[in-house]
Amino acid sequence: MDITNQTTPGARFVDPKVLARIGSLNLLARTVVDGFINGLHKAPYLGVSVDFAEHRGYMPGDDIRFIDWRVFARTDRFYVKQFEADTNTNFSVMLDVSKSMNFGSKSISKLDYGRYLAACLTYFCTKQRDRVGLVTFDDDIVTRIPSSAKHLDVVLHELDRVDAGRPGALEKPLFRATEFFKRRGIVVLISDFYEDPSVVVDALKPLCFGGTDLIVFHVLDPAEIDFPYDQAVSFQDLETGRKIPVVPDKLRDQYCQLVQDHITRLSKLCGENRIDYAMFNTAMPLDGALFKFLAMREKLSRKR
Amino acid sequence: MAFLAPLFFVGLTALVVPVVIHMIQRERKEFIEFPSLMFVRKIPYRSFRRQRIRHWFLLLIRCAALLLLILAFARPFLNQSSLANSGSGAREVVVLLDRSYSMAYEDNWDRAKEAALNVIDELASDDRATVILFDSGAQVGPRSMVDRNRLRGLISDSELSAGTTQYGPALKLAEGIFEDSSLPGLEAILISDFQEMGLESATGIQFPEGAVLTPIFVGSDRSPNISVAGVLFEREYFSGRERVAVSARITNRHDQPVSDLNVSLEIDGREIESVDVGLQGNGSDTIDFSAITMGDVPMAGRVRIAPDALPVDDSFYFVMSPGQVVRVLLVKNDRALPESALHLRRALDIGASPSFEVVETDLASLTVSKLSDRNVVILDDIPAPPVEVLQALQQFVERGGGLLVVSGERSNWGVSSSGLLSGTLNPPIDREGRGGAIGFADYSHPIFELFSSPRSGDVTTARFFRYRPFEPNESSIVLARYDDGNPALTEHNLGDGKVLLWMSTLDNFWNDLSLKPIYLPFVHRITQYLASYKPSPGWYESGQVVNFLEQQGLSTNTNLNDRELVAVSPTGRRVPLSEGERAGFIALQEQGFYEIRDASANSGVQENLAVNVDLAEADLTTVDVDEFMGTITGRVSRSPSESTNPSRIISAADIERRQDLWWYFLVIAIVLFILETVMSNRLSRKTLDLG
Repeated sequence: MDITNQTTPGARFVDPKVLARIGSLNLLARTVVDGFINGLHKAPYLGVSVDFAEHRGYMPGDDIRFIDWRVFARTDRFYVKQFEADTNTNFSVMLDVSKSMNFGSKSISKLDYGRYLAACLTYFCTKQRDRVGLVTFDDDIVTRIPSSAKHLDVVLHELDRVDAGRPGALEKPLFRATEFFKRRGIVVLISDFYEDPSVVVDALKPLCFGGTDLIVFHVLDPAEIDFPYDQAVSFQDLETGRKIPVVPDKLRDQYCQLVQDHITRLSKLCGENRIDYAMFNTAMPLDGALFKFLAMREKLSRKR
Repeated sequence: MAFLAPLFFVGLTALVVPVVIHMIQRERKEFIEFPSLMFVRKIPYRSFRRQRIRHWFLLLIRCAALLLLILAFARPFLNQSSLANSGSGAREVVVLLDRSYSMAYEDNWDRAKEAALNVIDELASDDRATVILFDSGAQVGPRSMVDRNRLRGLISDSELSAGTTQYGPALKLAEGIFEDSSLPGLEAILISDFQEMGLESATGIQFPEGAVLTPIFVGSDRSPNISVAGVLFEREYFSGRERVAVSARITNRHDQPVSDLNVSLEIDGREIESVDVGLQGNGSDTIDFSAITMGDVPMAGRVRIAPDALPVDDSFYFVMSPGQVVRVLLVKNDRALPESALHLRRALDIGASPSFEVVETDLASLTVSKLSDRNVVILDDIPAPPVEVLQALQQFVERGGGLLVVSGERSNWGVSSSGLLSGTLNPPIDREGRGGAIGFADYSHPIFELFSSPRSGDVTTARFFRYRPFEPNESSIVLARYDDGNPALTEHNLGDGKVLLWMSTLDNFWNDLSLKPIYLPFVHRITQYLASYKPSPGWYESGQVVNFLEQQGLSTNTNLNDRELVAVSPTGRRVPLSEGERAGFIALQEQGFYEIRDASANSGVQENLAVNVDLAEADLTTVDVDEFMGTITGRVSRSPSESTNPSRIISAADIERRQDLWWYFLVIAIVLFILETVMSNRLSRKTLDLG
């Protein structure tokens, strides 16, 4: 689904290039999310309530305060209401800070885009009383901020400070991250996924096994998708430093095809493994990402 | 077309460079950073643009620029000898070979002969050639020869002379050969070091129309040279013996200073003294050697310095003769005071070359015997002598002696003595006021010649208050007159001698001449003239012709048939002096000592004559060849493009230097490189814009 042009009315101020001029991530997230929330009131897809989820039969040990006495009066059976306790979930962002994320053909790099995205989502979730946390990684875990309702500022500060410096790999850090997400929660993984899709999915599977709702945001620069180069020059791999002489005219088509195949395969494998996948172009406004996130949250709630 | 440095053609391999640049994709130094080349690596690598040339014109410009650059470094020149040989008609070629002693500098002479031989080798079969060897004169071999071997022999056998460079005589000879020639091509080839000093002699030479003069320069600009410029003798008498101190002048004709230059003095072949001196750049210095006691015979000496690139002028030869003495008899009147003739005595006491030996007497004591060993007799204000004294004086003069009659208060000579005086001496007249002065002097006469130059003495400054008018006979010559027209000094010859009559006194009684600066030289010149004094030359210059008889003081009519006089040159060449019409004359052509021997007397060396080179030739300053060519005449050309007749290539390096074709190649190459830069930048910018 191409949502680049489906900008909501409230997202008119969230062009990434404009946001890049805002120094404070807190202010940035507030700008995006508040504007986005204002727009939500008119959005036809929303309306998911978090007040009430379901009734469950009373089990010994359940808190008797949650027994729905009205249902007991009608049915003479004990049911407990489950709603508020489940909606205040743990929300964590796993941000890839490998060197390849430092690439930006225009005014904003993938890392900045991911940083804004993480800030916005964290702020948004804080608004919903969720506990927020952050994990940054390259070829290993770089920083980890445990989920907490009070960690918004810490997360934003860390996002502001983080820098891409080392080559990246998904397998090891994701394996280690499974230790952090033992409680159910929502984990948003933001990366450019320069790995074989099967390797990526294999690395993501342990997270899913723990009951974590995993959302994968695949961030790519427009230049990585369209390969708009003309001059025959050497290209240097940001992570390995290796240089290859390239004649773009002659391999653009093949390159674009390979990238599309990569995206398609990654998307397919994620779907097969009940992982939500979304691809983001850094030229795309941030509200599109939020919209996508909420759409997935809606799907999650429906599944539940 | 030929090349002076063909090895540079190895650089032609550089032509591959632009081709390679065009064939391969010129990769930029900069690179683009990309997040991951994971997908790029999966695409099979192929080169596309390297397989074809896109900008043919740019490639041609680059190749042409490189080619021209290589050609420029290879020093191309047009081989004119081939052009010459393919020209129309035979040529009259005159080879002018400079053999002045400056050509002895380093290997200039060998190079000059080699260049001359090259000219002969390159003659076409129907060409005719003449070889002229020149220094200050010109020596021509057989004219218009076709025999190459003889021409080569003439050049090979030629030797350097001790002469100086004068282009005029040689060019004049060539001009004459051209005028006599019937061949269509006329070409003179001048091989020289082109010294500036001989340039003046070349003015006014007019070659026939169409004649070509090709200069071949074999020297070098501003060559360092040190030479002994000359010597001076300082004579003094010590304990009755004459001592002579030799001073030598050393000249450095180069910008660089010289240190520790060894200068030595040799007398009769033995080194007497040696000193080390330093010389400033373009400077000179005088070295004073210790005084030497003279003997009775002349001594042959030489001052030499350590040999340099031009060794000819590093030695200066001289003959040091004992000082000459002029014997003077001063006759005073009987009543003269002791202090009379004081100024005259004092003046004659001074002098070393020659020195004057004065004997005083009075008229009463004057006898014939006193005249016998005297060169000059001065009659200082005496009355007319007796007849027998007059006769003795007359005989003295006729034998070659000199007589000076000084008029004065008592000089009342009668008519009877007019034969000796050659005129009538009248009573004195007075000049009122400031007195009279010398109004006319014959400055061409040896006595006044000394004062002819400006600031060398003014004879008109002396004031004459009284003098005796003189009526000269026809045989008398008036050498000086007073401002009123009366003769002041007259001369007449009597036999082999001379009589001078001075109309006033030589003290400060009738005039103030004795108080003037010219008094001393004036008295000396009169005395030397009367004594027929000739200074003994310490040395001669090469090229001079010396009359040995005159130099020895012998009459030119002296019969030498009974004497077998021979002059032996420094190289051992024997020149007989007693034969033919030119008996007694020696042409001094070589540097060193000429020995005069009398073979009949078997007495060994009779006399040495020292001969030195003209030091003007030691100045190696060269004249610009173009300036030289302009001096000859406007009609002479030096290149094929300027002449109807082709010129000749003698030396590849010379011709290349004259043509300077490399310069044009280099300029065109630079222009092409600039064009290439502009074009490639534009093409590059265009490609970027498209990108």
